[in-house]
Amino acid sequence: MLVRALRKALPGLLFISPWLFGFAAFTAGPFLVSVYLSFTRYDIVSAPRWVGLENYAVLATDPVFWRSLELTLLYTAVAAPIAVIAGVALSLLLNFEVRGIGVYRTIFFLPSIVPTVATTVVFVWVLNPQIGLVNGLLRGIGVVGPAWLKEPKWTFASLILMAVWGVGGTMVTYLAGLKDIPVYLYEAALIDGASALQRLRFVTLPLLTPVIFFNLVMGVIASFQYFTQAYMLLNQQAPEEATRFLAVYLFERAWRYLDMGYASAMAWVLFGLVAVVTSLLFLSQKKWVHYG
Amino acid sequence: MAEASRARRAVLYAVSALGGALIASVLLAPGPPLRAHPARTEVRFWHMWTAEWKTVVDRIVTRFNESQDEYEVVALSVPASSADSKFLLAVVGGDPPDVMAEWNPVIPTWAESGMLTPLSELMSADEAAAFEREAYPAAKKIGQYRGKLYGLAVGINLWAAYYRTDALTDAGLDPAHFPSSLEELVRWGAKLDQFDAQGNLTRIGFLPSSLPQYAPLFGGGFYDWQKGVLTLDTEPNRRALSFLVENRKRLGLDRVMRFDSSQNAGSGIEWPFMTGAYAITVDGQWRVEQLARYAPELHYGVAAIPPPQGGKLNAGWTSGNFMVVPRGAKQARGAWQFMKFWSGLVEPERAAELYTWGGWLPSFPAVANAPAFQNYLQKYPQFRKFVELMPSENWDAAAPVPYQIYLADREGAADQLAARGVLEPSAALAALQRQVEEEIARRRKLGFND
Repeated sequence: MLVRALRKALPGLLFISPWLFGFAAFTAGPFLVSVYLSFTRYDIVSAPRWVGLENYAVLATDPVFWRSLELTLLYTAVAAPIAVIAGVALSLLLNFEVRGIGVYRTIFFLPSIVPTVATTVVFVWVLNPQIGLVNGLLRGIGVVGPAWLKEPKWTFASLILMAVWGVGGTMVTYLAGLKDIPVYLYEAALIDGASALQRLRFVTLPLLTPVIFFNLVMGVIASFQYFTQAYMLLNQQAPEEATRFLAVYLFERAWRYLDMGYASAMAWVLFGLVAVVTSLLFLSQKKWVHYG
Repeated sequence: MAEASRARRAVLYAVSALGGALIASVLLAPGPPLRAHPARTEVRFWHMWTAEWKTVVDRIVTRFNESQDEYEVVALSVPASSADSKFLLAVVGGDPPDVMAEWNPVIPTWAESGMLTPLSELMSADEAAAFEREAYPAAKKIGQYRGKLYGLAVGINLWAAYYRTDALTDAGLDPAHFPSSLEELVRWGAKLDQFDAQGNLTRIGFLPSSLPQYAPLFGGGFYDWQKGVLTLDTEPNRRALSFLVENRKRLGLDRVMRFDSSQNAGSGIEWPFMTGAYAITVDGQWRVEQLARYAPELHYGVAAIPPPQGGKLNAGWTSGNFMVVPRGAKQARGAWQFMKFWSGLVEPERAAELYTWGGWLPSFPAVANAPAFQNYLQKYPQFRKFVELMPSENWDAAAPVPYQIYLADREGAADQLAARGVLEPSAALAALQRQVEEEIARRRKLGFND
């Protein structure tokens, strides 16, 4: 039975074997090896030296780790919901069948396909306190704009702004979700005398919750792994209080200070956190996600 | 039906033609240049210089290859952003270059990991003695770790004060009598500051910044080179940091930050001193040649940064370009020949010309005194000030501790937190001391020596 099943699956497995090999060698392998490394002292060059749970014990008392964890959690708590709200709002607007809607959709989608590094560089200029576009516009209405990337609270706000800027990617999935909602439900609601707001509240949003849930989970995971923009800004002299995220600190420990064992321990703590938060989201979905 | 078939055929031909063109372009694309001397032993040299600097390095390599017939140095410019990790992986993979030029603070970390060859293993006794006897203090500090030399400097960086004579004259200051104390320099700076009608800065007269640069002038610094211990939260360092912060406060923290953020980081033609945004500034010797190239009409002078009352003369921060030989290098001997050739440890008169190509400060007085270098100083008289500063013992380099990069990061953070007004200078240095002690404790728990 098993042999027959294997024989049947063999052509398919052969076709995907390059990917399987790549996954085993470059993802699953390092993933498992990092478990072992997290119990060692390892600088890439010398052989790993077993230190037991010491990396985890030291991590528990590392103030930089706790600060970066706090920043990461705060960012996740703020950015992930805002990205969902902005994505849904945008998709609702772009769901109207008006003239040139394809062009509007393309315009809002475009930022999400611009490389993150390029977007960050542009934002550094746009948010320049003296010659930046944003403060220039604010000056036009008599407001002295803040030093966006020089003060911690404004740097944090700038990172959220950048997150919203790239919301076009999720907008497309929300749009697809909206198109999937049966028209007869709206017709029934109209006959029942539901207002536009009631139709949104009792028809659109409940039926969009599977897509919202998907994007929320993905957004939370991405927020926990937040790296590129923060790392670039940190290197541009932005305040470290607002840019040293957990993934940035992990990268510094691994590749800047060659502390691979410690970084591996940090990676596993991060993995555990993501797993816990994602599990909680999955547990909560019974209460608010409607699968039709 | 026949039409559809024709269309399909046309598409097929087009795709085939495109594919053929692609394959041909790959096959016919110019490959890496063939070796000029295939019979010689290859010495693989990695560096991070690009553009005009790469041309200079290539010239030096060619000059070395022409100077002897045993080795051929083959240079590879590696992107600076990934050079260190590429080097690490190459060493781990057992296929490192034979020699690498660096400028990042990597020697202690790499040496501690056993990745570097102590140069004493490659030097003859005479060469080691000559280096110890001849090399400028800065060259010794840059390359050492735990009493061993791992990096041979091939270009020292020093910083000095650049001043625009036109701006000084306009403000009624005499460029011929540059201040001899830091306090007086600050007074000059205040006379040179300029503001617009809204009170925004349009020109900064003089704004000292960077604790590593100024701490040695106050008798401080982050490392006691005699005792071999860190000196972080010390009275001279506190005075230096307070001085830097007070000067920012004088102009207004927010105002300075906004002004600075409107200036380009300052490479080449966009250097704020060149554009007139600063009247007096502190920068490295490489600016002399840039000024000659991009602003030949600009009248300026160079002076040592004056010390504060009771401070140290000819002091500040130094760094540089240096060459290291990785463990596992197949041609370490050839690498050493190349390093000696470039540095001027042997035949300094020949090496002098190489330094003039890059506008670098040499590691040895014999190179600086060679005719080729003296001709260069005739051409660029402002460069002479930097050469005069070289013999000073008061230049501080990155502390040679195995967590050097961590330390540099924390020092930068303390400097920044104080400059932004988040922490008082004394609190910033106390935090620095605490963080470094915590890091040392963390390392000890994990089994490191320190």
